[in-house]
Parts: sequence; structure tokens; C-alpha cells
Amino acid sequence: MKQGDVIGGYRVTTEPTNAGGGKCIWAFAEKGGHQYFIKRFLEPKRPRDDAADSASVRIRRQLADEFEDRHRTIMNRLRPDARGGGNLVLATDFFHEGSTYYKVTERIDTSSLEKPQTLEPRHKMVLLKTLGNSLKQLHDIDVVHGDLKPLNVLVQKRDDATFHTAKLIDFDDSYIAGNPPEPDDIAGDSVYGAPEWRRYMQRDGSIGPEQLTCAVDVFALGLMTHLYLTGELPHHDRRYGSPADAVNAGEHLDLDTRLSDEMLGLLRAMTARAPRSRPRIATFLKSLSDPKVCALQHRRPGTAKATSPAAKPTPAPETAKPSGPRTSRIKTNLASTPRPRAAAPSPEPPRPAVAEDTPAPPATPPAAEGPAERTSRVRINLGDRSPRRGSS
Amino acid sequence: MSNAEQYQGNLQYAVDIVLCVDATGSMHPVLDTVKSSALQFHDRLDDVMAKKGKAISQLRLKVIAFRDFGDDASTAIQQTDFLQLPAQARNFEEFVRGIEASGGGDIPESGLEALALAINSPWETGLDRRRHVIVMFTDAPAHALGTHAGTQSYPASIPRSLDDLFEQWGYARSQTAVMEQSAKRLVLFAPDLAPWSDPIAEEWDLTLHFASKAGQGLEEFEMDEIIETIANSL
Repeated sequence: MKQGDVIGGYRVTTEPTNAGGGKCIWAFAEKGGHQYFIKRFLEPKRPRDDAADSASVRIRRQLADEFEDRHRTIMNRLRPDARGGGNLVLATDFFHEGSTYYKVTERIDTSSLEKPQTLEPRHKMVLLKTLGNSLKQLHDIDVVHGDLKPLNVLVQKRDDATFHTAKLIDFDDSYIAGNPPEPDDIAGDSVYGAPEWRRYMQRDGSIGPEQLTCAVDVFALGLMTHLYLTGELPHHDRRYGSPADAVNAGEHLDLDTRLSDEMLGLLRAMTARAPRSRPRIATFLKSLSDPKVCALQHRRPGTAKATSPAAKPTPAPETAKPSGPRTSRIKTNLASTPRPRAAAPSPEPPRPAVAEDTPAPPATPPAAEGPAERTSRVRINLGDRSPRRGSS
Repeated sequence: MSNAEQYQGNLQYAVDIVLCVDATGSMHPVLDTVKSSALQFHDRLDDVMAKKGKAISQLRLKVIAFRDFGDDASTAIQQTDFLQLPAQARNFEEFVRGIEASGGGDIPESGLEALALAINSPWETGLDRRRHVIVMFTDAPAHALGTHAGTQSYPASIPRSLDDLFEQWGYARSQTAVMEQSAKRLVLFAPDLAPWSDPIAEEWDLTLHFASKAGQGLEEFEMDEIIETIANSL
């Protein structure tokens, strides 16, 4: 795939890139006067129809069939007519040309929300609730996102809206709870990965596949909630490579003491070592019933544990780059019908928004816009890394 | 912080990279850029990883400079072992700086032989998670494998056909693959010509092809692509 190619009727209009893409490259494309996003999968490759029969071809053909089936399974489970499904961003096309699989969705341009932590508590609450609702769509059908991180959350703010809303994207690596891919194959992010995910990858005998459940996502959501509310991830001792490493070692994460007591308790539970100790996503949503829960407060000295001198802020990863479209992403989703425009998310009250298998949006709005859109989308960019004032 | 101070239960990531560099005369205008970028690679990768809050536990680089067995078999392949960075940075730098664009005769070149050697490299098999990346820089198509198999110093281990090399590259559940499926990536900065664009980029798993034109070197964008490919996959 390169700029100028026509693939499945889509003319590629930008240089393809792997930026933020994992096992894909992507570009923008045009067809019939409409702008699209097109994603080329790096694996599997489908043997050509005229390939001579051999053991190798049979295996690869089976792999391709399984790849298609896996996507259809997720599609069937994540139905657009489910409650809140009106906000699903659906793929407009999924096909293979030659040996390669492609997905297509409408082009969605974005800009960056630099500092979500500076939003008013009510705005933060709406943002988190929509993110939680997005995740709930998956968890209700027993699907683990498996790679929850800021890069895979698309934040939208309609021009006429008061609030930002969040959409969960990129389900290429999702799996049914308790049935994850093999340790060498399972996806995930080294910063946002859950303790049991890391132990599973390390082939720790105490962790079997049945323990890779939706609680994996809850751990990541806990970290992201802390990030969105304070601008930083929870701190941990520098000896540990990640929050999960620290938790696996029996350490507590240092949460920001400016958080409300309710939020501190919630995040403490969400980042617990034992998956079963973590709350379900419904509990997370229920906790977000009052904006005060999302407020930061200044505590008097002595009312909370001071920051450990050894603790060092963990850099906020996956920030959007302040560069052109080449470094930006939009993610596709896989479904059979286009997203109903009439069902665009309303700002108040927050509505769940789930985009199946949708890459992250561009960090900056591309110069050329398509038809006037009522909505704009932003991706959170945590540019402020200054040390925070306190931690527990 | 030294490794000794790190908690031993941390997840350990190993990254191995093989750079296959076309060192024939036609690469002269761009080879300095390729070399300069290669020498900056470690620092740039570290920087990007740090910004993402990530770290690599072990980074090794190997360089294979190739020309053409059909022109001069004695200079057709020059290569290093895997060099651990930063500890062996001086050896890496010394080799890279010594690559001179010369020879090769007419196109095509021996790029597939270099790729075969890269695929059969002694990849890291330990630590918790691995990423094995082959990067090919060339401005030319490649001889069919085995074309010069009878020449002096032609490595005996190289497969005799592209189909055989494909089976060594492998796919999920392959019984013949010599590389770890979940770890490997092939990044091609090569012309939009056979065998690079088709069949390799078209039919091989986990291959990224950025079509280059003769006379265009390793630009910022291309280096970013390699680094992104690694950093995003950890």
C-alpha cells in the first residue's frame, strides 16, 4: 500500500504509516468523494486462490479463516442495536485484496485535548463515565479489550456540546474472558498491563488463562482514571518497571492525595493485585454519581501519607504527538453496517460510545476536512509532566 | 538505575535488530545518511521508549552490508555478530563507519542473500518478551536466490529459492519457521519492484514495505517508522 494506490476501490491519499499501529499500517483514502481511513493488516496473509495445494497453504488458509471468524464473533457480540450501541463507530468495509486484509471506516479528524486534568470535575466525570460505559459494552458480552491505554481511547467533543465523551477503540486484540491468546501472542501495553497479564506472559505457574478476565481492563482503567484526573499515573518505586510490577511485588501504588476519598478507595480497589478484588465496571460507573468524586482537593498536612522520596513520577505514556497527520491515527472498526449518523453521542447525559477495532485518531486536525461534521474528536495529550503536589 | 537495583520480577524485554544495508555504488548518495541514522538509532529508541514510560532490558544490533556475488564474491557480504548496546557501541560504530558504497556492478544485487542471513541470525530466545526486527535498505531489485550459489564464499546455508526462504520466515503454526512469529517484523525500505513489493511485502506476514526510489535515503520519517514499530509493540 502506498500513496496513490487504489485498493478495493479506495484511493490512498496519504503516505501509509505504522505510527501507533502495532500490526498494521494505515492511511487515509478517498472513494466516491468521501474520505475514509484504511488499515492494512500485517497478518495473517491469505493464500491466493490459485495457490497450489500444499501443507503450508492449507495451514495459512485455515489461519485466514480463523482470522475472519474471530472478527465476526466480536462483531456478532457487539451489536449496534444493543443499549448504547447507537454510538458504535462501525467499519464501512472489510475485505481482502490479493493476500492482504483491509478494514475501512469513515475518516474522523481530531485535535488534542492537552490537559484533561484541568477540566472541571463535572466534565471529568462525564468523560470517565463515557469511557466506563464504552468498556461496559464489551464486558457485558464477556469480551476483554486487552489493550486499554490512552492511545486506544478516542475523545469526542461536538462543536455544540458542553462535555467531552470517550470512545474505546481498537479491538483487534480483544478476547473472550478466560480465553486469551498464548503468552507469546497476547497483546497488551507494558505500562497499562495488569499484574496477572504480566505474570501470564512470564509463564508464572500461578496464572492460567482462566484468570485473564475483564479485571485486566479494570486495572488499566484505574491507571487511566488517575491519569485523567491528575495528569499523571500513580507513582511507584523506581525499582519496578511498571505499576503492575510494583503491585506484583506486593507494593501499593502511590495515589495522588488530592483525589477524593471515594476516588482513592475506588482506584485502590481497581489496582488491587488480585483480579477478583477489583470492582466490576458497573461499580466504577456507580461511583461516578457525583462530580465531587472527581474533584482534586488540598489536604492539610498530616491528613494523608506524604510522597515517598524514592517515588518518581511515572511518565504519562502514549501522548499525542504535536505533529502532522503522519503521526496521527484513526482506528477502524469491524462491522457490517455504517454508523447511523442520527445516533451520534449526545453530550448530556453521557452516552456510551464504543468503536469496535478502531485505531487512535490523529493528534492534530488534518488540513483538508471532509464534509462539515457536527462533531470534532480530540485525543488526550498529557503534556504537563510537572511533579504533583502530594501522593498517598 | 543499574540493572542490579531493578526488581528482578520486572517484565524483561529483548530487542534484536538486524540492519541489512545495500553498500553498492548506487547507494553512495544516501549511504552516509543511512549510517548516520544507524549510529543514532540507540539513543533515539531509548528516547522514544522513555517518553512512553517503557524500557528495553536488552538491545542488540547486527549489521549486514551486502553487494553482489555476481560482481565480486569477496566483498558481497560483510557482517557483524549481534552487538549489545550500549556496551559494544564502539564496535558497532567502527563497523558502520567502515561501510563504503562501492562495486555491485549492474542491478540486481544480492539483497535476498542478506535477508536470508538475517532471518537465520541467532535471535534472542530468553527474557520474557522479544522483538526481532529486520530492516532492509536498498535501492535495487535482487538476484534470485541461488543464482550465484557456485561462487566463492557463497554461504552454504542460504536457501536455494524464495519459496524456501518464505518457509523459513514462516507464519503462525509453521513447522519450518526459524523466527518467532510473535516477535518478528520485516521493514523494507526498498523499491517497488520484485521481489520486495511482490511477493515479499504482499505475501509475507508482518512485513512493512516503504517504497524507496534510487537516490532517496533514510529520512526522518523512515527512522521514525522503525522506532515506532518497535516501541508500539512492547
